[in-house]
Amino acid sequence: MSAAAGPPFSWNLITDLRAMWQFQFMQNAFMAGTIIAVVAGLVGYLVVLRRSAFASHALGHTGFSGAAAAVLVGANPVYGLLIFTMFTGGGMALLGNRASSRDVETGTVLAFALAIGLLFLSLYQGYATEAYSILFGEVLGISAAGVAFTFWTGLAVIAIVALIYRPLLFASLDEDVAEAKGMPMMFLNVAFMLLLAVTISIAVQIIGVFLIFALLVTPAAIAVRLTKSVAGAVIVSIVIAATAVWAGLFIGWYEPYPVSFFIVGIVFLEYVFVRAMGALRTTALVQAVDASERDGVRTLRNAALSASASQVLFVGAVVFIAISLLTHPSALSNPAVLLGQANLGFLLLGAAAVVGMYSFLTYFSGFRMLATSSREFTSPAFFTLVGILGITLMLGGLDLYFSGVFLAASSYGLAPVAILFGVPIVLVGAVLLLLGLFGQAVGSWRVGLRYHEGTLRTGAILMFFPLAGCALSYLGYRRAFAQGARTAPLTASS
Amino acid sequence: MEATSAPPLPFHIPGGTLDLGGTPAISARGVEVRYGSRVVWKDATFEVRRGEFVAVIGPNGAGKTTLFRMLLGLHWPSSGTISVFGGPPHRGNNRIGYVPQRHAIDRDTHLACDRLVRLAYPGKGWGPGGRRRPIQWGPRFALGPEREAAARVLEDVGASELGPKSLGSLSGGELQRIFLAEALVGNPEMLLLDEPLSNLDIRRSRELVETIHGLVRARGVTTLLVAHDINPLIKCLDKVIYIANGKVATGTPGEVLTSASLTTLYGVHVEVLRDSRNNLVIVGGEDDRGEEGA
Repeated sequence: MSAAAGPPFSWNLITDLRAMWQFQFMQNAFMAGTIIAVVAGLVGYLVVLRRSAFASHALGHTGFSGAAAAVLVGANPVYGLLIFTMFTGGGMALLGNRASSRDVETGTVLAFALAIGLLFLSLYQGYATEAYSILFGEVLGISAAGVAFTFWTGLAVIAIVALIYRPLLFASLDEDVAEAKGMPMMFLNVAFMLLLAVTISIAVQIIGVFLIFALLVTPAAIAVRLTKSVAGAVIVSIVIAATAVWAGLFIGWYEPYPVSFFIVGIVFLEYVFVRAMGALRTTALVQAVDASERDGVRTLRNAALSASASQVLFVGAVVFIAISLLTHPSALSNPAVLLGQANLGFLLLGAAAVVGMYSFLTYFSGFRMLATSSREFTSPAFFTLVGILGITLMLGGLDLYFSGVFLAASSYGLAPVAILFGVPIVLVGAVLLLLGLFGQAVGSWRVGLRYHEGTLRTGAILMFFPLAGCALSYLGYRRAFAQGARTAPLTASS
Repeated sequence: MEATSAPPLPFHIPGGTLDLGGTPAISARGVEVRYGSRVVWKDATFEVRRGEFVAVIGPNGAGKTTLFRMLLGLHWPSSGTISVFGGPPHRGNNRIGYVPQRHAIDRDTHLACDRLVRLAYPGKGWGPGGRRRPIQWGPRFALGPEREAAARVLEDVGASELGPKSLGSLSGGELQRIFLAEALVGNPEMLLLDEPLSNLDIRRSRELVETIHGLVRARGVTTLLVAHDINPLIKCLDKVIYIANGKVATGTPGEVLTSASLTTLYGVHVEVLRDSRNNLVIVGGEDDRGEEGA
C-alpha cells in the first residue's frame, strides 16, 4: 500500500509534501481526497440533519453490488456504483415518504444488494484485489481521469445542494409544515437521495463501501456538536473530513498500512475526543450542592498545595532526565536506552502526574463549590477537568510510545502503529494539560478579584512557570481563606 | 360511526362582534368530508370573519385536524364548497400560518431555533411557487431582512432568549413558542394552531393563550385553535366551532356550549356544568369516540 520510494520522514512538513507530490499518483490522491472531503462534509451535514445515516450506509452497500457488476462486465467500477446507488436511492425515496418508517425498507434492500454483489463476485474469475479495493477503498490508485471525473461530479453536487438546501433543511426539520407550504416533498426526497448516491459513489474510491460512514457521517456528527449554525457546521465538517484525508495520506506514505485505516482512525479519535469533552462539560456544569464559599476557598488552598508538590516532582524529573541525557548523549536517539538510564526520572514523572491529577481534581471541586455563589467559576471548573484528561492522555500516550519502542526491538508488527499513535496522543494530552493550567489560572485570578487578593492574582499569572505560580497561589488562598473567615458569611457578589 | 340523518342545526349564528369588512376569512357551504368511505362530518355550513379568534373543539377523531387540512388545501370536501379569503383553498398559501400537532423535536437536533424561524421566512428569486413563495429556494445573499424579521417575531412571542439555543434542548412550552414564531414570520392573515396547549400545564397554557391572543389581535390575524379544554381560552373567544358526532356547530361560546345545543348535536343527553369560577365541564356525549387523530 505504501510507496516507500521517497525519502524518509523529516520534521519539515513542506519538504515531506514536496517529496510526495513528485509522484503523480500522490498528487491524484491528494486532489481527489480533498474534493471528496469537501463534498462528503457538505452532504454529510444534510445526512445527519435528516437522520439518513442508515440509508447512506445501505447505499454504500448497494454500491458494492453495482461496482461488482461493473467489474464483471469489464467497466470502470465507479459507473456501476453510480447507476446502482442512484437507482436504489431513488427507489428508497419513492418507497417511504415518512422519515421514521424508512429503516425497515432500507435494511431489506441492503441485505439483498450485498447478496447480489456476492453473486457477481463469485461469477467474476479475476483477482480478489478488485473486491478489496471496492470494499475498503484504494486512494492511491486514482487516475488523472478519475480526478477529473470526481471534480466535475463533486462540483455538480455542490451546485445542486446550493440551489435546494433551504427547502431540504426545512423539510427535514418540519415535515408537516413543509407539506402545508406546498413544498414538493417527493421531489426533495428523491433529489436528496440522488445527491447522496453520487457522493457515495465518488467517495467509495478512496474509503470503500464498508468505511463510508466514517467520511460521510462522522465528521458531520462531530460538527453539529460543536456549532449550532448551518454554515459553521458545514465548514467544521469539511475541515474534519479534509484533515483526516490529508493526515491519512501523509501517514500512509510512511507506514506500510492501508490509508483507509488511518483516515477512519483519525476521524474516530476526533469523534471520541469531542464526545468526551461534551460529557465533561455536562459534568462540570452540574451545579454543586450546598457548600459554602469558605469550604470552596479551603479546598482551593489544598489544591494549590498539591499542585506545588506535583510541580516540584515534575521539575525534579525533568532535571534528572536532562542529566541522564547529558551524560549519555546516545540515549537521545534511542528511547530504549533513555528509559533505562533515566528510570528514576520517569518514576518521578509518574508521581508528578498522579499528584497533578489529584490537584486538578481538588481544584475542580473547589471551583464547583464557588460556582454555587457565582457562575463565573463554572468554566474554570470545566477546564480543570480537561487538565485531568490531559494528564491521562499523556500517560497513556507515553506508555503506548515506549511499548512500541520495546516491541520494535522484537520486530513485532504493530510496533510502528503504537509509536505512531503514541506521539500525537502525548501532544494532545500536553495541549489539554495547558488548558487545565489555564483554567486554574483564570479561576485563581477570579478568586483574587473577588477577595481583592493581589498575591492570588500574581500567582495566577505565574501559574505557567513551574513552582512559582502554585506556591504563590497557596499563600494567596490562605490569606483569602483567613479573610473569608473574618467576614463570613460572604455575600454572593454576582 | 356514520352521522345519522339529523335535522338542520338550529343554532347556526354567523359572525361575532368583530368585522374587518370584505369577504369572510372562511366560508363553508354544505361541506361533507370523507376519508375513503367513512364520512367524517357533513352538512357543515359556517363562516369565520376576518380577525376572529375561534376555538375548534370536539372529541378525538371528530375531524378537527381534517378541517385544518382542508383549509390548507391538503384535503378536499367530497361535496359542498369551502373558501378561504374568497378563493378555493390551495397548498402553499402564504396567507396561512400553520402549527401542526406534534409531540416534540428530536433531542439530537443541534440547530439554533432562530434558524428554523428564518427558514420559514418567505422567499424571493428562483424557485417554484409564484412571486410570493412560502420559502426561499437557493442561497439568500442579503440576510438582513430575514434576520430582522426572525428577531422581531421571536421577541413578539416572548422567545428572544431562545433564539440561539438548540432546538433539541427546548421544553414543550418553549418549542410551542418557536413554532408559533415560525408560523408568524411570514406575516400570515390566518393562523391555524392544532392543539398548541397539549402537554402544557394550566399556568403555561394560560400564558401561551395570552401571548397568542395579544399577537393576533394586534396584527388582525384570524385564528383557529384546536383545543381539548376550552377553559383556558374562554375569555378570548369570539366563536366556537364544535365538531362532534359527524356534525359541525358554530356560534359564540354562550350559544354553543349549552346543555340544550350539545344534546341536539350529539343526539344523546349532554350536560354542560359550570363551577364556581365559571369553568366549563361537558359531561356525556364523548364516550363513544376514542380514536386518535383524523
